[in-house]
Amino acid sequence: MTAVPRPTRAGSGAPPPDPIHWGRGALRGAALTYLLVLLVIPLLVILQDGLQGGLSGLWQAVSGRVPLAALWLTLWTAAVMAVISAVMGTLTAYVLVRYNFSGKALLNGLVDLPLSIPTLVTGVMLVVLYGPQAALGGWLLNVFGWHIIFAPPGIILALLFVTYPFVVRAVQPVLADLDREPEEAAATLGAGGWTTFRRIILPALLLPVTSGTLLSFARAIGEFGAIVIVAGNIPLRSQTAAVYVLSQVESENRQGASAMSIVMLAISLSVVLLVYRLQSRGQRGPAE
Amino acid sequence: MMESRSPYLAQADFLPPLPKLPLLWERGAGGVRLPLLATIITLLLAACGSPTAPAGTDAVRLTLAAYSTPAEAYGKIIPLFQADFKSKSGQDVTFATSFQGSGAQSRAVIGGLEADVVALSLGPDVDAIAKAKLITHDWTSAPHKGIVSNSVVAFAVRKGNPRHITDWADLAQPGLNVLTPDAASSGGARWNILGLYGAALRGQVSGVAANDQKGAQDFMTRVLKNVSVMDKDARTSLTTFEKGIGDVAITYENEVLLGQQRGQDYQLVIPHSTILIETPVAVVDGYADRHGTRAAAEAFVNFLFTPAAQQVFAQYGFRPVDPGVAQKTVAEFPAVPDQFTVDQFGGWTKANADIFTQDSGLYSMAIAAAQAK
Repeated sequence: MTAVPRPTRAGSGAPPPDPIHWGRGALRGAALTYLLVLLVIPLLVILQDGLQGGLSGLWQAVSGRVPLAALWLTLWTAAVMAVISAVMGTLTAYVLVRYNFSGKALLNGLVDLPLSIPTLVTGVMLVVLYGPQAALGGWLLNVFGWHIIFAPPGIILALLFVTYPFVVRAVQPVLADLDREPEEAAATLGAGGWTTFRRIILPALLLPVTSGTLLSFARAIGEFGAIVIVAGNIPLRSQTAAVYVLSQVESENRQGASAMSIVMLAISLSVVLLVYRLQSRGQRGPAE
Repeated sequence: MMESRSPYLAQADFLPPLPKLPLLWERGAGGVRLPLLATIITLLLAACGSPTAPAGTDAVRLTLAAYSTPAEAYGKIIPLFQADFKSKSGQDVTFATSFQGSGAQSRAVIGGLEADVVALSLGPDVDAIAKAKLITHDWTSAPHKGIVSNSVVAFAVRKGNPRHITDWADLAQPGLNVLTPDAASSGGARWNILGLYGAALRGQVSGVAANDQKGAQDFMTRVLKNVSVMDKDARTSLTTFEKGIGDVAITYENEVLLGQQRGQDYQLVIPHSTILIETPVAVVDGYADRHGTRAAAEAFVNFLFTPAAQQVFAQYGFRPVDPGVAQKTVAEFPAVPDQFTVDQFGGWTKANADIFTQDSGLYSMAIAAAQAK
């Protein structure tokens, strides 16, 4: 943080007036202030709010049956989503990079669409499609007895939709840059397509798949808009952590809301930090 | 389907009263309208918590903050009041209105939404504003104890009532799909639970003896087991029902009547025993005095109790509190054979403590029990 070369330079005679230096300081100040005002201060307020009663108070606020059930539901649905997303996202990226077909550009553009659709709208779309009164939802219910909306499958679908681009966009550039020679060599040595994929391509993709998956997991922890529409929101059954936070805000239990927020933040932040570490290690890896 | 039903559409009027800016604001003053600039200035001033119109200008500006369901009724009452006030005092009154869930509205007013008058769905939400020292008079000492309109907890059922739902006991039949909002956020949901639980305690639910607390709680559990969606407020819950989800929605009688007026084909079922929903109105002393609008605010609140205003409430499905209007509209609002009030539970404070306390309240316990089976 403090490794600024200014002091050493100051020792070598009178420093000339340096407009770039001044500008740099102002830029840095502006960026840091922006970060502070926008991110750090609100986070500190939440922390202070949730930690009013110390760590034991925080634990007490989130260890009730209802908050624990909400947290558990959030975690396991996010985990299921992450697994599906890892497989299908990698597949999508593979198809987008390795195959040529008409409509490829369109498909490529569609990948990012979920990021720009309000998640509430996502929820409404899913209810319209899979709701018990909808054609598809009704058919699934009548023929297979599957409850999709207002049940965990609805939550997982919503999360899959919302986090769709993460794995695809993490894998795509790595796959595109991948050296094809080892694959050709493997093919020459008689390896089948699957073996080549498993032994040559997959190891190279391990890092982007993992980081994309973890990022989508972190994103899913906090998802609210789509969930509040599709989940049913019944405590202990279909209420997720984010919806629980809302219900605590609404019922004047600000500490409970902040405590749960801190737990969600802590989970997301550690996942993001883990991704960050993996990525920096991955970048250093080949050089070492 | 949604047209102007959403209570949130009115939120553009959410801003506090503005100082007069003749060049930008006067309607018809010059042909130039600068909506964008005006909007930006509005937002900036609102963000700064602008001081309000100085006394001495002719028009008085009142801000009404209300819960979600009476939006349509107030839309009709306000012009009546404006004409009435003009004829009596010679002054014009302009209105800014905001409609959202009662609890959220109460918090908004405490947090700085400078409403001169609040109309909420629960007494405790008004009490919360009083606790913040913004309402300094005893609002329950007003005529009708500050209650401006009534309703009852009722059911919306599908056309033709295919599941034969006529009373509370029918809601517990296995496999039924019931909608009621989340009691943590919705005042309406709390009225629903009190209606259900109270009817059972009074021995009006077949299979539960009078004053059998355990039995009544068990009945609550069985109904909660059938609940498939808990939306965050009463109107959203009925909108979900309108989307075709659920066999029955527990809700305000006036919401069902309003929905029918708008062409929805669901039917209203009033249970044999149900709770009278009493919705209060009050002047917010702190803000009204700061704005110098007390006279107009009090006149508005008083006007709401006149037969003219009560007639409008009745037209939009609310049970009027004025005895004369109630008499005239008795055909539209059938008497409930066994009607009770929140006094059944010792008032709101006690009801909230006994029933809605997190984890230890009867409702929380019933929710837990419903999920356990």
